[in-house]
Amino acid sequence: MALFARSFPANTNWGASASASEPQKSTPFASHLLGGSALGFHSLLKLNQVKKRPGGVYASLSEGAEYHSQSPATPLLDTINYPIHMKNLSVKELKQLADELRSDVIFNVSKTGGHLGSSLGVVELTVALHYVFNAPRDKILWDVGHQSYPHKILTGRRDKMHTMRQTNGLAGFTKRSESEYDCFGTGHSSTTISAGLGMAVGRDLKGERNHVVAVIGDGAMTAGQAYEAMNNAGYLDSDMIVILNDNKQVSLPTATLDGPIPPVGALSSALSRLQSNRPLRELREVAKGVTKQIGGPMHELAAKVDEYARGMISGSGSTLFEELGLYYIGPVDGHNIDDLVSILKEVKTTKTTGPVLIHVVTEKGRGYPYAERADDKYHGVVKFDPATGKQFKGSSVTKTYTTYFAEALIAEAEADKNIVAIHAAMGGGTGLNLFLRRFPQRCFDVGIAEQHAVTFAAGLACEGLKPFCAIYSSFMQRAYDQVVHDVDLQKLPVRFAMDRAGLVGADGPTHCGAFDVTFMACLPNMVVMAPSDEAELFHMVATAAAIDDRPSCFRYPRGNGIGVQLPLGNKGVPLEIGKGRVLIGGERVALLGYGAAVQSCLAAALLLESQGLKPTVVDARFCKPLDHSLIRELAKSHEVLITVEEGSIGGFGSHVAQFLALDGLLDGKVKWRPLVLPDQYIDHGSPADQLAQAGLTPSHIAATVFNVLGQKREALEIMSSGN
Amino acid sequence: MRCGYGLAALPGSDARFFSPETSFLRLPRTVHPTRIKFGSFKVRAKIDEARKEVSFYELLGISETGTLLEIKQAYKQLARRYHPDVSPPDRVEENTERFIRVQEAYETLSDPRRRALYDKDLALGLHLAFSARRRYQSDEDLEDRGEWRSRWQSQLSELKRRSMNRDAGGNMSWGARMRKQREESSKEL
Repeated sequence: MALFARSFPANTNWGASASASEPQKSTPFASHLLGGSALGFHSLLKLNQVKKRPGGVYASLSEGAEYHSQSPATPLLDTINYPIHMKNLSVKELKQLADELRSDVIFNVSKTGGHLGSSLGVVELTVALHYVFNAPRDKILWDVGHQSYPHKILTGRRDKMHTMRQTNGLAGFTKRSESEYDCFGTGHSSTTISAGLGMAVGRDLKGERNHVVAVIGDGAMTAGQAYEAMNNAGYLDSDMIVILNDNKQVSLPTATLDGPIPPVGALSSALSRLQSNRPLRELREVAKGVTKQIGGPMHELAAKVDEYARGMISGSGSTLFEELGLYYIGPVDGHNIDDLVSILKEVKTTKTTGPVLIHVVTEKGRGYPYAERADDKYHGVVKFDPATGKQFKGSSVTKTYTTYFAEALIAEAEADKNIVAIHAAMGGGTGLNLFLRRFPQRCFDVGIAEQHAVTFAAGLACEGLKPFCAIYSSFMQRAYDQVVHDVDLQKLPVRFAMDRAGLVGADGPTHCGAFDVTFMACLPNMVVMAPSDEAELFHMVATAAAIDDRPSCFRYPRGNGIGVQLPLGNKGVPLEIGKGRVLIGGERVALLGYGAAVQSCLAAALLLESQGLKPTVVDARFCKPLDHSLIRELAKSHEVLITVEEGSIGGFGSHVAQFLALDGLLDGKVKWRPLVLPDQYIDHGSPADQLAQAGLTPSHIAATVFNVLGQKREALEIMSSGN
Repeated sequence: MRCGYGLAALPGSDARFFSPETSFLRLPRTVHPTRIKFGSFKVRAKIDEARKEVSFYELLGISETGTLLEIKQAYKQLARRYHPDVSPPDRVEENTERFIRVQEAYETLSDPRRRALYDKDLALGLHLAFSARRRYQSDEDLEDRGEWRSRWQSQLSELKRRSMNRDAGGNMSWGARMRKQREESSKEL
């Protein structure tokens, strides 16, 4: 009866009816109002803010943070499937819609996990945008995309919100193939102004008249690409709107271990200054006073004075945007729908605006008290209980590779005071918040600026320091030229720690680290290695710290360790460069794994053993320089050689193949087969599903072995036994 | 009668009995006429005094280390008891007054920031209820926000003014040229 109950018009005057029942027991009261289906509707209504209105249905967020675990009542939102359904609403109803949308977002994210804080901060903005503009003809772009949950709900995907970030479900970021309302795929930051400008110019060339709106956050604004885009936009002078969503949160996850992170960079203080501009106010008051006295024809003069005053005193921040050629409007209260709608309407109806930047001030996590109060503003959460805000974090015996990396680096830095760490606004994601706590002077957060981070590290290396650049494998793509030109070409000893290598699960292909082996191992001076478990990670951090004459890198996956014993005091022992290790000695079949894939190889070996085969399992450790003698021996003494890695073509397997070919080993009797990520982007989903789709599960490895040996039946058996 | 914030506005017309400081926060200088008819002067004086004695915690009936949940529960209970709509007619005024105080107590104590300030003052022995309410609010913030509106309104009018003669004149930008082209082609149609 849920559907019925939702559309039941409840004229409730809580003031009067409150006396009819005892305060604490809310459910029985609600039930006789809603005819038996106690939805917890009641608990969402504000006790002190109910207005008498004939025939209206009201549901608004409770001020006292009472959220029911069941689906919240959203009578108005239920009538909105697409933005066009919003067009007849009054501004008052829009406010109600925003409240309902907010509770819907909270409810949905509590069930699936995902990005909460950012979505809550832009609820009003989303409502205002869809009300004023006509998507999908008007293009609305969401930078990074993690705040697009309200947008998705309003654009026909509300019924799929429970599949968010799951296999075959909604993507956690905007995705063109998912809906026509998602006009650009995002995931990495700072791309929307560029893309928006492209769409605006395309529209101009085609002679169309639609609007283009790019929403970008103040964090994403710290990246260079945003300036490149604004610079170009100012020059081209094409009509477009850039909305700067300023919530003073520049780094992720918005907090260190000990409290909120103050925004990184000079831009943030400039934006703050824009928000409070006393001199202008005072001058204008004076000007008003003067005009009043003089009156009459002095109006024009006063207007001119005003204009000059604005130009002179209008704050040192807006001139930045004005200099780039964008007309600055703001700051605007991002949670006031009245303001937002009137501004957007004005800008929309003005012809020939050129590029306009609207500076909107919002609060991350707004409307959900637990998020507002949390240091990290609930940026990314797992499933949680809406009523208490408690997240259902799974417990694990082992920590994440990220944490192990941080601990390893701290141990190295204790011993060597030249070690410094650099990251690009990802203190939590890279684990360097731990390093920051221990060595506050030696940890550098450069904002979302990977390119700068790499060259900055190169500069540090020139001075004899030992920089560790912790950048996700997928974000390293941004800094590739800097890696090649500024680091590798000059053979500067910068260490790259690439987290999130391989498939990453719920974040999907935008965050997948598929290509790093390929693009790192082809560089002449780079040492490329990958740990197969957490102990190896400790050793490789030590190895990297020890390599002081050339750049080096190592990659590790998302996830938890497998549970091996860690080295004493978290201090690893440098490995011999270019040497792999044999884990299991066997015969006939050799499984040569690189990185986390070694674990899959071990599991495959178990499967093969049940069929009477005893494969050799080798952990290559190094992709560059390869362990030539070991590979030579494997090729000579085995019938089948399978290389496995969680990376694209052109990586470890290709380097092995190159060596085998050059060494004449392919002219012999060994059968070599590579297992790599397929030539397609693997969609978001659970790690197990993704691995299965990629064909890199232990079953796949074992089946490949059987296929090569000609034992097709066994291969089929393994694959269909559903391992 | 409207509940909630509407209720919170104290009579400005009764300036004789209430100093300007006692008017509620959201209305810094202006005062609004009230819908609440306060009875005799005696009642008001009594309430005025009573107000000064009791701390917010005592008013809500909780300990000073009460959790948010306790505060909320206490507030709800008291609010339901003293809400003007549910009180017997002869006790409307005093219940209303109590309701306002309970409301204020809840607002202060439920916001961690304001609660912290209040606790500090309490420790110093100052219980400043209505009169010092403004201290616990981000006054500056609100003023700033008010200014924001006038600022962007003027920016919008400036935008409109600029857009009038934006595409005129020589040395046109790419966008201006395209816009002109589009206008011309639509005129031809």
